[in-house]
Amino acid sequence: MSHDHPQHRSAMSSLSTFTCVRCGLTVAASAPDGSRRNHCPSCLHSQHLVDHVEGGPSDCEGRMTPISIAVLRTGDWMVVHRCVRCDELTSNPVCGDDNQLILMRMAVRPLAQPPFPLEAFGDL
Amino acid sequence: MTRRKARPGGQRRPQRAKDVLHGPAGARGDAFRCVGCRLDVSLVAPGTAHRNHCPSCLVSLHVDRRVPGDRAAGCGGRMTPLSLSVRADGEWMLIHLCLTCGELSANRIAGDDNALALIRLALRPLADAGIPASRVMLAL
Repeated sequence: MSHDHPQHRSAMSSLSTFTCVRCGLTVAASAPDGSRRNHCPSCLHSQHLVDHVEGGPSDCEGRMTPISIAVLRTGDWMVVHRCVRCDELTSNPVCGDDNQLILMRMAVRPLAQPPFPLEAFGDL
Repeated sequence: MTRRKARPGGQRRPQRAKDVLHGPAGARGDAFRCVGCRLDVSLVAPGTAHRNHCPSCLVSLHVDRRVPGDRAAGCGGRMTPLSLSVRADGEWMLIHLCLTCGELSANRIAGDDNALALIRLALRPLADAGIPASRVMLAL
């Protein structure tokens, strides 16, 4: 692979795809806004390919399920993934074409099953 | 690697006891001091055997790697609450982010955790006037 042809490299990265390990959807690896995507836009599942401690490739390759939504100070949403094999947690930015229904379902999930009555907060 | 198997009767395995040294210079202590708000926190918590965060400000310290109490992480940074996740059985988990090394960890909430801080965390995705939130509400 020649690295001195930026056009060739960008064409490669915009054409590469991966297959979702959960729903089998073939996904373009680059998002509409040009960033690299690492989870399926339909079911939001990912695969544990990067070792987040050392930064290199991971030998786990387990499926990673989305477990929660985190909000940065800038207001951007991040998806927190958990590997079902080794329980590692990662967070990744949300892409523009990610499934909004699943995103909202994860965001409101804590409020749907509160561990304490929420009525008391009406007084505050 | 941890695998959770369904137990007959739908019960979970009881939590392992957490036996760690909390005092100065390895002395056995039954309390720790919060790095966020300096509150002295007792290790005895209602509802969990693995208290690792301050019940008042929910801040934790990066000392354990995977097993509660293993003291295998050499980082020692402050961990701030990042988000809430819900287990299949409806229990809330608090996701912490280490400010020093960026590692994430999950811990069950305790019975005496600050309910207002938890609700503020749960409402965070919906609070920021969310471009995504309002768009989805319109679409539904």
